[in-house]
Amino acid sequence: MSANAKASANEITRPVALTDLGQETLRRLMREWFEFERRLATVPVVRRLDVGTFTRDDYQRLLLNLRPQVVEGSRWISRCASSFDREHADIRSVILRHATDEHRDYEVLEQDFVATGGELDVIRAQPKNPGSEALHAFLMFKASEPNPGGLLGAMWIIEGLGEKMASNWAERIRSLTGCDDECTRFLRYHGHNDDAHMDKLYGLIDRICTSERAADDVVTTARVVGRLYAWQLEEVDSEC
Amino acid sequence: MSSSLAGRSAGVVMNVYITSTGAFLPGPPIDNDEMEEVLGCVDGKPSRLKSRILKANGIRTRHYAIDREHRTTHSNLDLAVAAARQCLDASPLPARSIGMLSCATTQGDMVIPGFGSMVQAGLEMPGVELLTAHGICSSSVMAVKAAVNALRIGEHRSALVVVSELASRLFKSTRYEAAGGHAAIDFNSEFLRWMLSDGAGAWLLESAPRGRCLRVDWIRSFSHANAFPVCMSIGTPTNNQDVRTWQDYPTYAAAEAAGALLIRQDVRLLEQIVKLGVDGALRLIDEGTLEVDEIDHFLCHYSSHHFRGKIADMLEMCGASIPQEKWFTNLYTRGNTGAASILIMLDEFLREGRARAGQKILCMVPESGRFNTAYMQLTVVEG
Repeated sequence: MSANAKASANEITRPVALTDLGQETLRRLMREWFEFERRLATVPVVRRLDVGTFTRDDYQRLLLNLRPQVVEGSRWISRCASSFDREHADIRSVILRHATDEHRDYEVLEQDFVATGGELDVIRAQPKNPGSEALHAFLMFKASEPNPGGLLGAMWIIEGLGEKMASNWAERIRSLTGCDDECTRFLRYHGHNDDAHMDKLYGLIDRICTSERAADDVVTTARVVGRLYAWQLEEVDSEC
Repeated sequence: MSSSLAGRSAGVVMNVYITSTGAFLPGPPIDNDEMEEVLGCVDGKPSRLKSRILKANGIRTRHYAIDREHRTTHSNLDLAVAAARQCLDASPLPARSIGMLSCATTQGDMVIPGFGSMVQAGLEMPGVELLTAHGICSSSVMAVKAAVNALRIGEHRSALVVVSELASRLFKSTRYEAAGGHAAIDFNSEFLRWMLSDGAGAWLLESAPRGRCLRVDWIRSFSHANAFPVCMSIGTPTNNQDVRTWQDYPTYAAAEAAGALLIRQDVRLLEQIVKLGVDGALRLIDEGTLEVDEIDHFLCHYSSHHFRGKIADMLEMCGASIPQEKWFTNLYTRGNTGAASILIMLDEFLREGRARAGQKILCMVPESGRFNTAYMQLTVVEG
């Protein structure tokens, strides 16, 4: 058997059925997601999106506040991958592919900002807001732990949000602000939460949640990341 | 794990049973082609959104309490009384002995007094304890729960729940014309015109079983109005920059002209109701109240096709999915009668004779108004 064939035999795929603990963890993660969506819906800039008073200025501020975290996003994912040891090489493979997919995302975001009429120098000079600082620090801390399986909870929230931005925010922003598709490529690009992606996620749940403790870590990490992400977006209104 | 809240309380708590049901749907079934003949063409032109909305909701026939000349054939009170009489006629319990009358409607015939007062008078029930629950679809469950609790603590031995809806009066073409006609109405203000219709249901609750009846195991609801904006409403104008509500206008005519009396659905927010419906069920599963595998019949005010795709897959994977063959709905033939739907649905379900002793029925009522989801578990028992 070649090395490649061996690796694919160990690849993380959709299980026929999740273990009991896996099922419970998925239920808990779903509830964390719904809780995150409720929290998000009370964030002023998201509320304006929902009630229809969101402006082009709001969109520019949103992009300004998202960029620093997106730039740093590839760092925590890479750190996370390198923290998995050889016993967890199958997980590391999934994370590495993910890091490769996303590590230049911020360039798309910058171009979107320019397309809305913003200056490239302005968005590049924008520092992290306090919520982004806290989120980044937490993710780097978790990613530095040995075999940081809990970060599955972070992926659950951040990828879920990526899908929400693509399926729910991008068109809404376009219709409220008159920005064309050239301005919302970053938001739309993240709608990749397709079947294959979900299958990988189910596989990771069973692979990582082999004890109550590991499952708790995943759920707690999802909760913390959700709160910090909401804080990051709340700061959009403090950065006027 | 106990499936009954009764098991958890320290005090003396009675079991409560649904011992009779009734339903009333006015006039003949109206199919999709006839709808606009009854409701009327706005500005004389057929709707361009109708077929798209009907295709999405899957409703084939419904009933209206208005005729083609827009005369009201049955008042909301008439509907309520007819359903209540059918429920009472099927029970030996005399109406005059019933302790509590618990009613709900989205909009009574009168602005005040409460709908329950009118229903009480219509049914000539003396000296009842009265409740009118205010809200939209989930107000039915509020009315049921208040009555169930009154029986549980022993304040009454019987209660009649009557829930009635007369939405069609809101959908007359003249309403839309008064708000500016086609130029002023959009998808959100037309959506419910092709969704809601009229009807009433009634349940008799007793603290002792009577023949084959349904024990109320538990009723729970979760409201999320704090988190989301209004999703289904009457009272705000077409211009969303105008913060006035209907009574802030100098005259009701001015409010109507501003579109503040149109019924609207924020369709973009509607997907939340499916997610929150799942969220509430997961809460009940995780606290041990709901055991999905024990459910034999699932009566949902929402059609199953809303729970498809990724969320259906996740429900399957997390062990919270209810197989399609356990779903029961009459939404497609009786229409979506708002708060009355779940009462009308249970009535038809029981009449079809599918329920066997010992089986468990889960009812779910999601309300999009400002996001309230209600759940109720019943067990078929032989008295």
